[in-house]
Amino acid sequence: MEMSSVIISIKKYCLKGCMAMLLLLLTAPLHAQPGTKEYTISKGDMKITLSKSLKEKDLDNFIDQYNLGDLALKKMISSNFQDSVKKMGWKIEVNSSTILVLTKPFLSADIFNGPSKTIDLSWINSAAAAMQMPINRPYGYNVFRNKHAFTVKDSVVTFVLHNHKNAMQVKLAGSFTNWEGNAIPMFNSDSGWVVSIKLSPGKYSYKFIIDGNWITDPENKTAENDGEGNTNSVYYATNTIFKLNGFTKAKKVILAGSFDNWDEGRLQMNKAVTGWELPIYLNNGVYTYRFIADGNWMTDPDNANRFPNEHNDFNSVLTIGPPTTFTLNSHKDAKEVFLAGSFNQWRSYEVRMKRTDSGWQIPYVLGPGNYEYKFFIDGHSFDAMGKESRPDAPGSVIVIGANYTFHLKNKSAAKTVFLAGDFNGWSPNAYPMKKDGDEWTLTLHLYPGKHLYKMIIDGNWIIDPGNKLWEDNEYGTGNSVLWVK
Amino acid sequence: MLLFFCFIYTNAFANPVDSLLKNKVVVKNISFPDLQLANGPMDSSSFIIPFSKVGNLMLIKAKADSVEGNFVLDTGCPGLVLNLTYFRKYSSSQESDAESEGITGVTRADQVEIGNFNFGTIKAYHVKADCVNLGNIENSKGIKVIGLIGMLFLQNCELIIDYQKNLMYFHVIGRKEASVYEHSMLKDETAYRTIPFEMSENRMILRTVMAGKKLRFVIDCAAETNILDSRLPDKIFETLSITGKVSLVGVGNKKVDAVKGSLAHFEIGGQDISDLPVLVTNLEKTCFSNGGCVDGVLGLDALSVQKIGFNFMKLKMYIWK
Repeated sequence: MEMSSVIISIKKYCLKGCMAMLLLLLTAPLHAQPGTKEYTISKGDMKITLSKSLKEKDLDNFIDQYNLGDLALKKMISSNFQDSVKKMGWKIEVNSSTILVLTKPFLSADIFNGPSKTIDLSWINSAAAAMQMPINRPYGYNVFRNKHAFTVKDSVVTFVLHNHKNAMQVKLAGSFTNWEGNAIPMFNSDSGWVVSIKLSPGKYSYKFIIDGNWITDPENKTAENDGEGNTNSVYYATNTIFKLNGFTKAKKVILAGSFDNWDEGRLQMNKAVTGWELPIYLNNGVYTYRFIADGNWMTDPDNANRFPNEHNDFNSVLTIGPPTTFTLNSHKDAKEVFLAGSFNQWRSYEVRMKRTDSGWQIPYVLGPGNYEYKFFIDGHSFDAMGKESRPDAPGSVIVIGANYTFHLKNKSAAKTVFLAGDFNGWSPNAYPMKKDGDEWTLTLHLYPGKHLYKMIIDGNWIIDPGNKLWEDNEYGTGNSVLWVK
Repeated sequence: MLLFFCFIYTNAFANPVDSLLKNKVVVKNISFPDLQLANGPMDSSSFIIPFSKVGNLMLIKAKADSVEGNFVLDTGCPGLVLNLTYFRKYSSSQESDAESEGITGVTRADQVEIGNFNFGTIKAYHVKADCVNLGNIENSKGIKVIGLIGMLFLQNCELIIDYQKNLMYFHVIGRKEASVYEHSMLKDETAYRTIPFEMSENRMILRTVMAGKKLRFVIDCAAETNILDSRLPDKIFETLSITGKVSLVGVGNKKVDAVKGSLAHFEIGGQDISDLPVLVTNLEKTCFSNGGCVDGVLGLDALSVQKIGFNFMKLKMYIWK
């Protein structure tokens, strides 16, 4: 009896097990299509279904799209490496010779639960913020819905507002009119409300005032928020026309350069009678650039000014504005000296200095900003005083267009004080403050808008005791807050 | 997004307990310089206020004593919230080098009392507002945010938001005309759809049905995205096209997963919205104290590009076609 009862039990368990196996076989996608790559939501969990015969490029795209770099999926598929997948909280549901199925529960967003706990949906903000926030890039160009929205002749720009024929009064107000203070009346013409004004090269914000109501320019695609709640249209009075003669049969010509982080798609040139051209506004500075005609990169054939680049080739060079002279009064016997800094991404082969009676010198144009730099003497790095510095040590600092001075008082016993903030990537030792009597000071160029910073006294990070404004940070230690107009 | 700032502070707003507050700050006056008043009929009143939009946020220029900046209109927020950065008492601990202990100690329970809150004809005296860190909105948007205006100030109002003129039309509805009042913009009933909503703990709740399941959404005019609870039935997600995975980062760098995508169909008041962008995450912890849980959050961007209106007395929403 006992024996038969055991056998029956075994049969029961066997039956249950077989049923479970059968159910699993029926439900699991063991034979998914060869190109399967799915990211779905199932039973409240995230679910990844991947065919193991997926092409490497397709798998790379999938990993990029769903931000799955931490899972080492390629290693798991090729050599069954499971550590990363498990470490990141994913469960392996199916791992056959053809298919991989992973699931992960959504963790409860309990970050909402309790005082001072907030959520940062930074990915959502990023796209909108990039469109709306003032961007402190060194160039600008106009994008209108109608290509010929404004005419420009001898620096005289004719602003046009179409429609609104029945308006009683339309004015143009902007950064060039002290806004409403000197707003300029526009004239009702056949082509709309118009007014012509002379503008020197630069970036200008403006709006139209129609019978007292302020509107942005409906024809202008470039608008930005000034940080104080006002969205304004932006017009660039250009100072540079990039031209490429010839190549009239090319389908597309792109301008790429250091001013746009070598973006290969943004600055598309316009077809002109004898070639291609693009008018843009550039801040003062030294810029390297190349043209890309139907995918082929080239220097500017009409510009002899060139710097060597990292591909054993050259980039064309454009200089705008008055230069700052960098001088090194030592190392007269050196064979060669280069200037490099944050302004040229530390390319130590680009800007060759010229020998003088007392050392070395080079005029170089910089726009407003704070820059670190070093001299590279026969392959070794040196600071502004000609003292050798470690390759990883911060460079000397030069400030162009200084507009704000930080002060720290009552710390005369401190040995070192540094300033760290969003303006220097929070470097703990790049921006030393200078002792001036019983206070420490540092003057910098700061872009308009909000800045976060801290001071570092003898290695201790503190918020600025002279500034009442500060906000919490991710470490619970606070950052000082500064708004620059 | 701002919904969540406000979930946290509901209780403190409704039941301020001064004795628990370490740093009570007094703001004498909050005003809105661009606001234009208009006389209303009978016992009602109207005002118009220009706004600017940054992302999904609707910003109103304001001045709180000497602090100038923006208030965000936030229907996902029950009351009034001020940005702690500009309304905290100066901490004596800030003067010491051992700043970290001092700072974490005073950011917890700050509350502000506002002497006069002058929002057009909506006036309030000795208003309590909670102070929280709104720095991440400022940092992501590049704008100065001094606070959030929530539902408490809208409960007797009709509000019509004209996105094309960047104007908000407020009408404070008096008791005598509550049943008969209608804005002239609502005369042409073919121009808009009327959708009923409910109020629950000072939040607007919209009911809808997805894949046969009855759902409740919070309407949040400051929401950065529409949000769906990941715990909803699979059938609802069958029309979701997932485009990516993201991490939501909370205080202390705690991360939770979320996926972003678009819903092929979403129905609201008989109107089908196609390709509704949504973020899916686990909303287990977003239940109200008395009013149950919500299945998601709806922002206004998805609903209309022209005009949208709310009558908070009749509990009706108007969406222009």
